[in-house]
Amino acid sequence: MAFISTGYDPKKPMEGRISDIGPHKYDQYFPPVIAKNFGKWVYHEVLEPGVLLHVAESGDKVYTVRCGGSRTMSITHIREICDIADKYCDGYVRWTTRNNMEFMVKDEATMKALRDDLNSRKFAGGSQKFPVGGTGACICNMIHTQGWIHCHTPATDASGPVKAVMDALFDGFIHMRMPAPVRVALACCINMCGAVHCSDIGLVGIHRKPPMIDTAWVDQLCEIPLAVAACPTAAVRPTKVEFDGNKVNSVAIKEDRCMYCGNCYTMCPALPIADGESDGIAIMVGGKVSNRITWPKFSKVVVAYIPNEPPRWPTLTKTVRHIIDVYSANAEKYERLGDWAERIGWEEFFKLTGLEFTEHLIDDFRESAYYSWRQSTQFKF
Amino acid sequence: MADVTDQQKAVIVDFLKGKSAAKSKFYFNDFVALFPDMKPREVKKILTALVNDQVLEFWSSGSTTMYGLKGAGKQSHAEGED
Amino acid sequence: MAKYPTPMLDELESGPWPSFVSDIKQEAANRKANPKNLDYQIPVDCLEDLLGQVELSYKEKETHWKHGGIVGVFGYGGGVIGRYSDQPEMFPGVAAFHTMRVAQPSGKYYDTKFLRTLCDIWDLRGSGLTNMHGSTGDIVLLGTQTPQLEEIFWQLTHEMKNDLGGSGSNLRTPAACLGMSRCEFACYNTQDMCYQLTMDYQDELHRPAFPYKFKFKFDGCPNGCVCAMARSDFAVIGTWKDDIKIDQEKVKAYVAGEIKPNAGAHAGRDWGPFNIEKEVIARCPSQCMKWDGSKLSIKTADCVRCMHCINTMPQALHIGDERGACILVGAKAPVVDGAQMGSVLIPFISCEEPYDDIKEVIEKIWDWWMEEGKNRERVGETMKRLSFQKLLEATETPAMPCQVKNPRTNPFIFFKESEVPGGWTHDLKAYRQRHQR
Repeated sequence: MAFISTGYDPKKPMEGRISDIGPHKYDQYFPPVIAKNFGKWVYHEVLEPGVLLHVAESGDKVYTVRCGGSRTMSITHIREICDIADKYCDGYVRWTTRNNMEFMVKDEATMKALRDDLNSRKFAGGSQKFPVGGTGACICNMIHTQGWIHCHTPATDASGPVKAVMDALFDGFIHMRMPAPVRVALACCINMCGAVHCSDIGLVGIHRKPPMIDTAWVDQLCEIPLAVAACPTAAVRPTKVEFDGNKVNSVAIKEDRCMYCGNCYTMCPALPIADGESDGIAIMVGGKVSNRITWPKFSKVVVAYIPNEPPRWPTLTKTVRHIIDVYSANAEKYERLGDWAERIGWEEFFKLTGLEFTEHLIDDFRESAYYSWRQSTQFKF
Repeated sequence: MADVTDQQKAVIVDFLKGKSAAKSKFYFNDFVALFPDMKPREVKKILTALVNDQVLEFWSSGSTTMYGLKGAGKQSHAEGED
Repeated sequence: MAKYPTPMLDELESGPWPSFVSDIKQEAANRKANPKNLDYQIPVDCLEDLLGQVELSYKEKETHWKHGGIVGVFGYGGGVIGRYSDQPEMFPGVAAFHTMRVAQPSGKYYDTKFLRTLCDIWDLRGSGLTNMHGSTGDIVLLGTQTPQLEEIFWQLTHEMKNDLGGSGSNLRTPAACLGMSRCEFACYNTQDMCYQLTMDYQDELHRPAFPYKFKFKFDGCPNGCVCAMARSDFAVIGTWKDDIKIDQEKVKAYVAGEIKPNAGAHAGRDWGPFNIEKEVIARCPSQCMKWDGSKLSIKTADCVRCMHCINTMPQALHIGDERGACILVGAKAPVVDGAQMGSVLIPFISCEEPYDDIKEVIEKIWDWWMEEGKNRERVGETMKRLSFQKLLEATETPAMPCQVKNPRTNPFIFFKESEVPGGWTHDLKAYRQRHQR
């Protein structure tokens, strides 16, 4: 490999430098029909799963075909998306906040050809490249974090469990049979670099053991005050310990204060936290962000721990599918999962789903815990 | 940046050198405390000037960021970036 | 022939949902074939090594990445996340495998020229693997080596005129819903506000000087498609003040079953005929609607603008004309003190360009938080620690009932000295004239 220089000179980093220019302005990438009718849309319809029609004051129509994608995406795949956009959409395409792609066209015939084309494309391994769906009362595409593909503190993978769960929920993505939209999300550790705390179903990777202390290396690899300061619960303190007959600088961890966030590992590679046998996933349910009918609400933990079972996480996928099936069979039209659970009561939720209620599901984390205990004699037996 | 003086830069460099035995990186707030009469935004200008002078460098945990003297500390060696 | 067997990952190629494993394999094969005859600037087989390392993680159920904090582009404190393999001899192609965040156009509309140019840069100088998009909204370029960072930044800024996004203790890449570009519910131009504020606050985005991260998100209406209320320190959510506009003929058409309710979003299941009483009137959270069999009426003063009736009958009902936004402050994920949702600070604010009203609020919050916030404290936590009143004071916002669920349930009120007659001083002598010791 010969290094190909753009002209950047590391000795003079400011020379010819362009900075602080931000993103491109959004409107230069509008398809003409979008640019023309900006701010003048009157109403929309979901014509079929994955197909939206928007009608403007001018009478103009735009058909949008939405398809699911894996957030982890290669440039070969993006180039294929470009080919499709060039063929049907004058070279325009957009993404949604939930990793879906949207292709927009102006007439129904093109929409149908585009939809069928998208649905027909498959990877060599057999999975669909661009499944059309993800609209209305469906199970939408999952948002997620990096997991074992790129993160240093995950308690589970992200892309793998997402693929396994979406396979199990696939009919929910391509049909609109749910009582209300169902939003599923996964964060591979409690730091939630992609927040899942207001999702209908939030899957969260959890560590269950405080970090290891690689005593021989702590003082060599790390600045101890930084590792100490990194701990959000002040569980890490500096100490001197005997190692190989010498007194060495190290840290001590107050185990019952540790919340397994891995922040100290970020600062100090001699404090690794991953533990294959004890790491796993917690399931949270019933959150929402929309203000529709009821206030936004947080997801609640209903399964404290499911072990990691790569490559397809069977217990996790089965449990998620089961919760959604019970919700779908029992909730009223327009009722989000959390609204349904609150209407019937959480005691009824556990009865209907058959999930075991354990002490781990009772909040004991700081002051807010009290507000989740029941201060009433009203409950169901 | 015309409004940043060498004296102000020296306050930051001296502070970092004084602490270098224990810790090589500091949060933005730690520098604000060195200039009690200045607003945080003005202190930022001094730090930015020192970064552009290649005296300071950033260290990021991904979620937070710290400032330190360029090449100082154990991390740069551990990451093989020195 | 693959470099390593990946029997566990191979199991993720079956099933209908798009397989990231198949996609990575496809890119690995593309790099090996090298159809564009590129002089790849990072190892040709980096994705095979990535698959090998992830397969090892699948066997051991543990990650093999280490964090790197120093790498970046000169002068910026964010936009690059350093990553190193903890098995570099086994997987040399990913020994260093850094992430770059690239600023996305507001609303995530692209043309293929933009995408192809980005792909070409990344083909030559990176792994060819991306995230479209990261959780915060940036385009994420996944996997390159340190010497390429400045080169990629140079090409991005010189050839594409596009910047990096944020990471660390700074303003993170702001994100907006698609807003007025294709949605009849948008109460303001979310994309433009997002774009303008991103441009105005480039220094805050690239050069960290906050106690912790700070996120803006812009939702056009209370449906909240970009989750501003849950995921941003500063959420701007479109709303309106006047009457919901009603087309009575269209309401009748919904009642008569001529138009599918909820824009057809429930079409996959037989929910029975549309029942306006049950599905709209009874579900209204503030009970502000009436249907007399031929006319729908809404008492605007009682309406809390939840969007349900508009969502359910989008051809008959439309948002009002006196539009603006509500500002909610302080949302964050659970670490450390528990999750927080944004709390209403300003119930209604104008959203006209150049957004000076909004910027004034933002800058007051920043000034306060930069002075008072502790290291690694989100503004929502500063609010909790110091009180909502301090935020009101810092932003010169009057107290209003809409800012609370209910008034306080304790009488432990901290009055200011200036609010009490005579301040904190007492006249002891006078007191003793009235009372014996």
